[in-house]
Amino acid sequence: MEIRKLTNKKILIEIGRPIITIAIALLIGAAIIALMGEDPVLAYSMLFKGAFKGLGNIIATLQNTTPLLFTGLAVSFAFRSNVTNIGVEGQMLFGALAAGIVGYYVHLPWFLHIPLAIIAAGLAGALWAYIPAIMKAKLNVNEMVVCLMLNPIALLITGYLSSYPLKAPGPTNKTFDIMKTARLPQFSNSSQFNAGFFIAIALLLMFWYINNHTKKGYEWKLIGQNPVFARYGGINVERNVVQIFLLSGMVAGFAGAEQVLGVYGAFYNGFSPGYGFDGIAVAMLAKFNPLAVSLSALLLGALNSGSIVMQMMTSVTRDIVKVLQAVIVLLLAADFTLDMFLKKRRDDAAGRKKAKLEIEKP
Amino acid sequence: MNEILNLNLITTIIRISPPLAFAALGGLLTFKAGILNIAMDGFMLVAAFTGVAAAYFTGNLYISVVAAVLASMVLSALFGYFNLKFKANIFIAGTAIGILASGLTAVLLKGIFGQMGVFTAREVLRFPQYKIPIIDSIPVLRELFSGYTILVYMAFIFTPIISFVLYKTKWGLRVRAVGESPDAAAALGINVFSIKMQTVILSGLFCGLGGAYLSLDYVSLFSRDMTADRGLIALAAIFFAKGDPFKTVAVTMLFGSAQALSVRMQLTAGIAPQIMQIIPYFVTMLALVIVGIQAKRKHFNIEATTAR
Repeated sequence: MEIRKLTNKKILIEIGRPIITIAIALLIGAAIIALMGEDPVLAYSMLFKGAFKGLGNIIATLQNTTPLLFTGLAVSFAFRSNVTNIGVEGQMLFGALAAGIVGYYVHLPWFLHIPLAIIAAGLAGALWAYIPAIMKAKLNVNEMVVCLMLNPIALLITGYLSSYPLKAPGPTNKTFDIMKTARLPQFSNSSQFNAGFFIAIALLLMFWYINNHTKKGYEWKLIGQNPVFARYGGINVERNVVQIFLLSGMVAGFAGAEQVLGVYGAFYNGFSPGYGFDGIAVAMLAKFNPLAVSLSALLLGALNSGSIVMQMMTSVTRDIVKVLQAVIVLLLAADFTLDMFLKKRRDDAAGRKKAKLEIEKP
Repeated sequence: MNEILNLNLITTIIRISPPLAFAALGGLLTFKAGILNIAMDGFMLVAAFTGVAAAYFTGNLYISVVAAVLASMVLSALFGYFNLKFKANIFIAGTAIGILASGLTAVLLKGIFGQMGVFTAREVLRFPQYKIPIIDSIPVLRELFSGYTILVYMAFIFTPIISFVLYKTKWGLRVRAVGESPDAAAALGINVFSIKMQTVILSGLFCGLGGAYLSLDYVSLFSRDMTADRGLIALAAIFFAKGDPFKTVAVTMLFGSAQALSVRMQLTAGIAPQIMQIIPYFVTMLALVIVGIQAKRKHFNIEATTAR
């Protein structure tokens, strides 16, 4: 009875924390809007209507949610194992470029062309993620510093390629339009909502299964909670960190594929408004749980989508969403590391005890 | 003709360097205290906006610089508090501060001034240009070193000062001790939190000067995300120079010139701007690899000797 009470309380805290965080962010946003002499209630109601009123808006919200499902999954999968892949933005850009190249230069029937373009994007993302992975594993260089440098490098390389050697004729810096056979099917006339959404949902389910029902998933979780303990348990941490990075980069690459094959139909220089960074917010709100990623991506997708309407109807710019997002991440980052810190100490103690027991064994 | 072009180029580089140099000096203090400060772009952006807004409302440049610096310091204190007190991951907190600064300045730009992209104060205020007495009478040196505004001189004067403070004062020793081994520093009775917080707030001060220079001196306007990753480039320079103050500022000037040249090279030589812009990040990556290999070798050597 006592135990059940505790777990119930814990579940309540788990759910309550993100909700309170979102509420605080909305209040801060409201204060800023009010300070500028605008009506926060009006602005927020426009935001909400823009996101959810009518089928057209709902579909637009789902379209805005799709890239965040991919990047949110990529980030949360890595962060769960304490692999801080903040290079998702760059990995996504390379994935998008690869999808654009395969989509235009390769000629195949659609049932081969689409999978091939997606696989190419995944490989490109994984390849770009291999750089921080190998530097971390072999040279023990901080992966976040490397990712920090690799993101602008990816933007500049893909920007160069799409502006010069691979540029399609015309005023815009973009690659050639992909073949019709590589286009992901779209389901709406008013927005670019496409089959990528369902691929993302399938991936979320897959990763949820891997995380919770496979040995590998358990090992990866252990590495996140306590690498020392994992090593005692006979897990090759370095090799697993590389694997986690590759998989995370692959999912990031898929995010790029969805944008090119489903939304734009070509690689546009600088197309991303920062989906890779949004992924961090999505992952943290979801506490790195793939199923919860769907909800947090929907929340941020709705904010992004609804803010367009809000910007049209009021004098508040859609940048207010960035402010909300930043506040959410700051507040969650604060509690998540505190949480991890406490947990880690506990696990450390447990690990030491276990190790001691094993040593004492004859 | 050629000489004039070169002089012109050097003065251009001196004029674009201060924001990078200020950020590098601020970042250096936090770097020495063991903090990777990726929020500097955010600090500078908020300072740049506050500077222009204050200039618009007060019409006084010096009050505007002070306001810019204060705004930047407030943001840096927030960043420091979240990282050091609430234990938020430094990279995540830093990224969030950057997004916050970008979003907030854009929202306020529209809310206060009704502008979506760029805001210029009604009357353009200008900092006076200082002429250095003796140097101003020598032809080439005059063009190179005289006639800049006070913030340019400050950026370069602070380099030796920071070096002195870090390596010759008690406070500097404490900062380095905290950075190299926080536990040992704490055991010696140093208040690690307080020292780290001081460096973060000082980095806010320097970034504030850098941001103020950007929007009040280098150009007289505020535009969205106008810092253009200068904080990140400064951080790259710190890594590349392994934290030596003079080398760091020299490297920021090199990186700055690569950025400045990217436009010129495209016009004159047809070289894609991306190729010049990638240099800071690329060479820093190389430096990270080299440092990593060196550290590994050292580690192996130590292991080999202890094994023997």
